[in-house]
Amino acid sequence: MRTRLARILTTVFVLAVVLLPIYWLVSTSLKSNREITQEGTLYPHVPTLDNYVRLFTEKQFGSYLTNSLVVTFFSVAIALVAGAMGAYAIVRFRLPFAMEGKVGLFLLTLRIIPPVVILIPVYLLMLHLGLLDTWLGLIVTYTAFNVTFCVWMMESFFREIPVDLEEAAMVDGDSRFGAFRRITLPLAAPGLAATAIFAVLVTFNEFLFALALTATPRAMTMPRGTATLIGRIDTDWASMAAAGVIGALPIVFFALLVQRHLVRGLTMGAVK
Amino acid sequence: MMHSSRLTRRSVIRGGLGLALATTALTTLGMPMPARAAGKKVIIGAFADGGLTPFKQKIIPLAKEQGFDIEFLEDEYGVTLEKWFADAQSGAGQYDVYLLDDPWVPQFGAANVLEDLGAGGIDGSDKDWIGSMIDMGYWPPQMGPRVKGFENAKPTLICVPFVGDLQTLTYRNDVFTGGAPKTWDEVIAKGKEGVAAGKIKYPVVFRGVSGNPIVTSWYPIFLSFGGSFFDDKWNPIFNSAEGKASADFFVGTMKQNAPSGVVEFDSDQEGAAILGGDAGAIIQYSGNALKADDPAQTKMAGKLDFGVVPKQQSAIAQMGIFIAGVPKSAPNKANAIEFLKWYVSAETQAKLSEAGSIPVKRSAFGIAKPGNRLIPVALKQLDAGALPRPRTPDWAKVEELLGIELNKALQAGSGGGEALDRAAKQVKDYLTTAGYY
Amino acid sequence: MHGAAQARKYRLQGAGLDLALPYLMLAPGLTIVLDVLVYPLWDGLRASTRAYRYGSPVGDVGFQNYMRLWSDTQFLNSLWVTVKFVALSVSFEAVLGFALALFCLREFQGIRLLRTVLIIPMVVTPVVVAIVFRLIYASDAGMLTALSQAIGGGAVQILGNPLNAFIGLVVLDIWEWTPLMFLILLAGLQSLPHEPFEAARVDGASAWRVFADLTFPMMRPVLAVAIVLRTIDAFGTFDQVFVLTRGGPGEATRLISIYGYDTAFKFQQTGYAAALFVTIGLVVLALAFSAIRLLRRVDAS
Repeated sequence: MRTRLARILTTVFVLAVVLLPIYWLVSTSLKSNREITQEGTLYPHVPTLDNYVRLFTEKQFGSYLTNSLVVTFFSVAIALVAGAMGAYAIVRFRLPFAMEGKVGLFLLTLRIIPPVVILIPVYLLMLHLGLLDTWLGLIVTYTAFNVTFCVWMMESFFREIPVDLEEAAMVDGDSRFGAFRRITLPLAAPGLAATAIFAVLVTFNEFLFALALTATPRAMTMPRGTATLIGRIDTDWASMAAAGVIGALPIVFFALLVQRHLVRGLTMGAVK
Repeated sequence: MMHSSRLTRRSVIRGGLGLALATTALTTLGMPMPARAAGKKVIIGAFADGGLTPFKQKIIPLAKEQGFDIEFLEDEYGVTLEKWFADAQSGAGQYDVYLLDDPWVPQFGAANVLEDLGAGGIDGSDKDWIGSMIDMGYWPPQMGPRVKGFENAKPTLICVPFVGDLQTLTYRNDVFTGGAPKTWDEVIAKGKEGVAAGKIKYPVVFRGVSGNPIVTSWYPIFLSFGGSFFDDKWNPIFNSAEGKASADFFVGTMKQNAPSGVVEFDSDQEGAAILGGDAGAIIQYSGNALKADDPAQTKMAGKLDFGVVPKQQSAIAQMGIFIAGVPKSAPNKANAIEFLKWYVSAETQAKLSEAGSIPVKRSAFGIAKPGNRLIPVALKQLDAGALPRPRTPDWAKVEELLGIELNKALQAGSGGGEALDRAAKQVKDYLTTAGYY
Repeated sequence: MHGAAQARKYRLQGAGLDLALPYLMLAPGLTIVLDVLVYPLWDGLRASTRAYRYGSPVGDVGFQNYMRLWSDTQFLNSLWVTVKFVALSVSFEAVLGFALALFCLREFQGIRLLRTVLIIPMVVTPVVVAIVFRLIYASDAGMLTALSQAIGGGAVQILGNPLNAFIGLVVLDIWEWTPLMFLILLAGLQSLPHEPFEAARVDGASAWRVFADLTFPMMRPVLAVAIVLRTIDAFGTFDQVFVLTRGGPGEATRLISIYGYDTAFKFQQTGYAAALFVTIGLVVLALAFSAIRLLRRVDAS
């Protein structure tokens, strides 16, 4: 009985700690600025959806959302293909200079360096390529970050798949690449999914490079667009809160949708 | 692990395709992309600030009538300087006009990345300009000390004043019943009476956040105490006796008479304190002042009046105007200059004044019906005294160094003078590294 | 399969293509990584030996930028703030995450809900997390102030006080990332073999002894990996501080990433900032690799 009570209390406490901040965000987004700063209410006394309407009429949150979806989809998709092939190559082939062992380490090294380190040179690179403030500029950048991660994840998935299956397929007449495509890849599908989900989360949420590489609603992503409202001069708390809700909604929705695979993807690297 | 999953390759692919289709649909079905009226395109970059509201609401539509196709890109103040400088410096060409904060002009000037607007046909010598405002558009400055490397350069008009913002006093007329308080002592004394009478909670409120906000709040007090920032050789002299007295007054007396959270206040909390009825008086730019008569934005409508900043030795405010520059890499350079020419004409400036924004031409102050009662007060403040910040390309760093020390002293509630000494040393060291002496 | 397709497949198996296959498969990934990550690194390395004025290079200064770092009190301060931030956040997250994982190990009603809800903090966009906490901490519009006023108190000062602001940032990080710790450790716990625990139960060992003698030692590798992952990530924290405090009040929450960003973009000291970033990159790498080496040694023994 006592453990049961303790369990209930702990559960309620954890839920409260996680959900209270979110309640406050949503509740603030339904108030007017006057109510927020001058009345300090605990729940919206005069609820209004104006703040949300403004995001789509006065600000360009529609564009931010589109940009985010496009950039995330393509950078993850490309990185997944390139990463899976790369991972397969270093798992299954012997390369000169024992490269198959070093490539993984090299990519891991790149992954460890904080991204802010290369912010300026990447800005200059995109400038010279004429890709500032474009989808393509962001897609290229995010793809590069995602590739390091995809190779690293997929490597461990491919290692689990027995070589015999491919060999059997090749005896049956498949080419090497055909065996990869028709046998190995489908078997690694759960791994691909977990990798993709993780990459989607990271890419959709990325802020720093979006800050440097975009300037207008043509390419600004959701986090970047949200940050146009974080002003300290004349802060529009209501819009900021509404932007927070809109900014987080797609990715939270996505995460809850793919919950099971998400958890596996997040945890498997560490547990192995 | 593999067999435990319900995900098959087919479902992954199907999901991906679905997402792609949804994306394309969203893109093509048109997020509300405004129909592009064929016009003279001008891309304006601005930081979010209430001071630009009249421009946005009234002047942009007028510009459209004139055939300009204005794209107005707002961003957060804290990122605009670096974004625009990177844009101009690298020649990325993402903007046609930047609406700069005036202390940023020297940095753009020294890097030589803005168009010569004088050559573009804008007359800087027009007598209708507010002199102190148009002066800020020149690099190197026409008056005052110049940084190394620009001693003999010819002053060029690289920016034109856009909105003539400067600090004025906003006060509660039910607390300060005899009109605007004349001195800081009066602000505190009458404010305390107001607190005792239960009309307000605090005599004053200001911005205490380190960096630009706290320096902005302290600056008019510093000026009113008779301080000067640099000497002619760029040696920091803000830690003079007057300067120290102003800093001690700021972190001591003013803090004691302000909300306890003032250390983290920026203009929004500051605005909320006065608009929400907690504070007796504040020095502020026009952004919040413009809300003072709007019942939708303040409970205090009718109780707020404007005046010249209080004085100790003199009543000097800080000028902080919006000032427009055109990057050399602007994609629609000719349109941009044509737009600015139209915008600074006496006629358009009169319209701006009517819309309730502080203009940059003297004639526009004198129109029959200024859109806001702040406008005549602003002119009064201009005549009483208003000074810009020092014209150095390194102001951002100087302001940061000083702001951190002032903020620390404000937290402590004492030691303003010592904070200035420490800041002066850091500024001197920094400028030495930057080759100032 | 049939005729033509079959024949085509055989042709594709030619020795030439098979030899080239690994390179063809590696090429796309490596090309983009070399262009977008490695070249910029090299570019940054070059910039770090130059002096810049008004955003343009004005000459080579060798290692001067690197030397200057160690006499720059603002740099040293931000390094110290970062180390404190990482150490505090990660250790709290590890302890809380472990406790929560142990708590959730046994199925009970409501656990699914708990696990689902716990996913939210770590998937919410960091910029939004920071907005959430600004809305909580703000002394005028904040939740804490509203709550305090509802029970008759005054305004709560978080972001204006250096210590409180720093703690506030750590709390944000704990809120955001404890769930990740929790999920990793829970997965680790679930993958432990059952037999030793059965045996301990038969022997009547106390819960504490089971934890100290079995659970903790067996979980050590997973715990270590989780801590290393979080530590690396925490070192690069930027978005949350950028939105929450921008490093203030004073320099209380100015992490190294923020100082570097400001140095590069706001103060236009591109070369100096590059030296700073290179140094940080090396520090994090050294940290990570010594951790990995340590882990391998633990694994082997």
